[in-house]
Amino acid sequence: MNYLKRSRLYLTHKKGQSLLMLLIMSAILVFVLSGIIIQNAAITATNNVTKSAGTTITVSANRDKMFSQMRSSSSKTKTLTTPTVANTKIAKAGNLSTVAYYNITNTASVNASSFDAVSTTTGTSSMGGGNMPGGGGGMSANSGDITVTGVSSTAHTATFTSNEAKLVSGRNIKASDANTKNVVIEKELATDNSVKVGDTITIKTTATSAKKLKLHVVGIYKAKTSSTGMPGNDPSNTIYTSYTLPASISGTAGKSSTVTYTLENSAKEKATTKQIKNIIASSAFSVSSDDASYQQLLQPMKNVQSFAKKIVWLVAIAGTIILGLIIILSVRTRQREIGVLVSLGESKLHIVGQLFTEMFMILIGAMVIATLLGGFVGNKVGNQLLSQQQTTSVSSTTTSGAPGGGAPSGNMPGGKTGGGMMTNQSNTSAANKKALKTLNTSITPSSVIKLGGMGLVIIALAVCVSAISILRLRPKDILIGE
Amino acid sequence: MLTVKNLAHWYGKTGKPLYENVNLSFEDAKVYTIIGASGSGKTTFLAFIAGLDKPQSGEIFLDGENIEKIGATNYRKHKVAIVFQQYNLLAYMSALDNVLTALAVTDSEHKNDKQYVLDALAGVGIEAADAKKNVQQLSGGQQQRVAIIRAMLVDANIVIADEPTGNLDDENSAMIVKLFQNFAHEHHKTVIIVTHDTKIAQQGDVKIKLADRQFIAS
Ligand SMILES: Nc1ncnc2c1ncn2[C@@H]1O[C@H](COP(=O)(O)OP(=O)(O)O)[C@@H](O)[C@H]1O
Ligand SMILES: [Mg+2]
Repeated sequence: MNYLKRSRLYLTHKKGQSLLMLLIMSAILVFVLSGIIIQNAAITATNNVTKSAGTTITVSANRDKMFSQMRSSSSKTKTLTTPTVANTKIAKAGNLSTVAYYNITNTASVNASSFDAVSTTTGTSSMGGGNMPGGGGGMSANSGDITVTGVSSTAHTATFTSNEAKLVSGRNIKASDANTKNVVIEKELATDNSVKVGDTITIKTTATSAKKLKLHVVGIYKAKTSSTGMPGNDPSNTIYTSYTLPASISGTAGKSSTVTYTLENSAKEKATTKQIKNIIASSAFSVSSDDASYQQLLQPMKNVQSFAKKIVWLVAIAGTIILGLIIILSVRTRQREIGVLVSLGESKLHIVGQLFTEMFMILIGAMVIATLLGGFVGNKVGNQLLSQQQTTSVSSTTTSGAPGGGAPSGNMPGGKTGGGMMTNQSNTSAANKKALKTLNTSITPSSVIKLGGMGLVIIALAVCVSAISILRLRPKDILIGE
Repeated sequence: MLTVKNLAHWYGKTGKPLYENVNLSFEDAKVYTIIGASGSGKTTFLAFIAGLDKPQSGEIFLDGENIEKIGATNYRKHKVAIVFQQYNLLAYMSALDNVLTALAVTDSEHKNDKQYVLDALAGVGIEAADAKKNVQQLSGGQQQRVAIIRAMLVDANIVIADEPTGNLDDENSAMIVKLFQNFAHEHHKTVIIVTHDTKIAQQGDVKIKLADRQFIAS
């Protein structure tokens, strides 16, 4: 182990040169470590995105099928019949371990009875919400002036999560409101008719033999958009209830037309879609997943990740080349020393070992410096990268989201498959984005170990390259030159 | 005993030989001097018997065993020690560490014995204070004495010196020749000194002249 002692003597004797090597190695390692840290942080962030991005799977009417059925119908008055699926099937799919929660949406059109609908324009449109591409159940009947939107939970409903609608008093509609006549109504409607939380309002069904239903007001929400610009479809005229109520109004009790499953983990999207399809088992429904928000969040992370990977590789390769060249040059100036050792009978392997030990000692010093500096550099560079990535991705969402998710989307009854979903996704990502504003770039023991590993590989390669020139040395020529 | 048999060497592909049919024997407890003009091939010859290079043809035996069979590294490590004209000490160490390094590399029984080395150095006029200084701070004569102590302490049977006094004044030269003589005679070692200085050459027990591509002993 004499070469260990020689390494120490060499490094302490050549202080300036050792210091220079220490600086070069530290610089290389700082970059490698920053790369590793950013990469790790991006991987962690990506995993978090996977868990939190709220990929949704929506089960709704297969529209192609619905329209072709209507055309082939033999009856004289061709009506669009929205398909329904049993709530038990919906619940069964909801119990899949990969599903975080689900939200059923059923809509029905009714007429105000004990109160007046809010009207922005005179008269009601013949179609009401029916001209919306995503029109839900109950559209086959005549349209009334009030839209009853039944959901499992208003808190999970797109218009509420996107803040298009906001509860101002009372409480939300919850799963436990199933089979009740509890409702949440819009503030304008409540004020115009002097209705408060706890009051009862009456509606009339649009069926030929109209029935009256007493509804119990448990909450009041405020719609953000004052006017949709669509006559007869003022957002104030949407009443939120449990999903069971519109179904019973439309005569499809125990069944529903649209459900949106929100996943626990976005990575399980494909498998879960398949499972849900199997459970629903009806060609009248289309099961479509939306992981746009997930992908949109994922992309910047992936970019940062691949960039960090490139940094690590580039710096490692460049570092190996630089260190290799330095060692080769230093071997040249140390030819006589090496020749002396060879003439003493030292094996060339031990001489390479001495070089390696010298580099290893410098590596340890550089590791300390890099660990002190790398966290700082990694944090700065990583977050700079991330914020650049997100700026680009946010601006691209805004432009792509606009045509589909514009003004009307938020308050469409049954607009689940149309604009509503768009609102939903851009909103989810906005919420998640908060969590991803910064990368957690702290140095973990594993990243230091990884750095040590890379450092070892770098010096091993560099020493190997220079070893070639050591092994080719002819001691006679070095030692006995004139 | 070191024996050279039918040695011939030439440089390059078509170059004419420096010497051919060289047959020499070097016995224990004797100092051999080899004298010859510059460029006659003295150093080249030393490199062969030191195991630092191989001749184009011929064989070298140590006590009847071919040195190729002993193995070059093993031969250098345990059988032979070299003293060079340019001292060739390790510049980043003290005299003491230079000798200790050689002892460690050759796996000597004294490899960690500082006092043993300091005593030996004191014996050639290098006191402990100087022995612990960086070796480059010593005079040429002192450095060559350190190199000789290094060669002597590693316990090799053959010590080869290539112009060991080439850079030294007469006083230092005389001292060094004396050291080699004592070493050979008292410790029964073979010492082979190459020189172009006739005064030094005269002091060998066996004087070999290299001229006209012939080694002639007298
Ligand atoms: N590596 C070599 N390649 C080619 N020629 C060499 C080499 N080493 C020495 N020579 C030549 O061989 C001859 C003998 O050199 P050398 O043994 O150094 O002589 P000396 O030590 O007697 O002065 C010289 O002419 C020298 O130029
Ligand atoms: Mg010479």
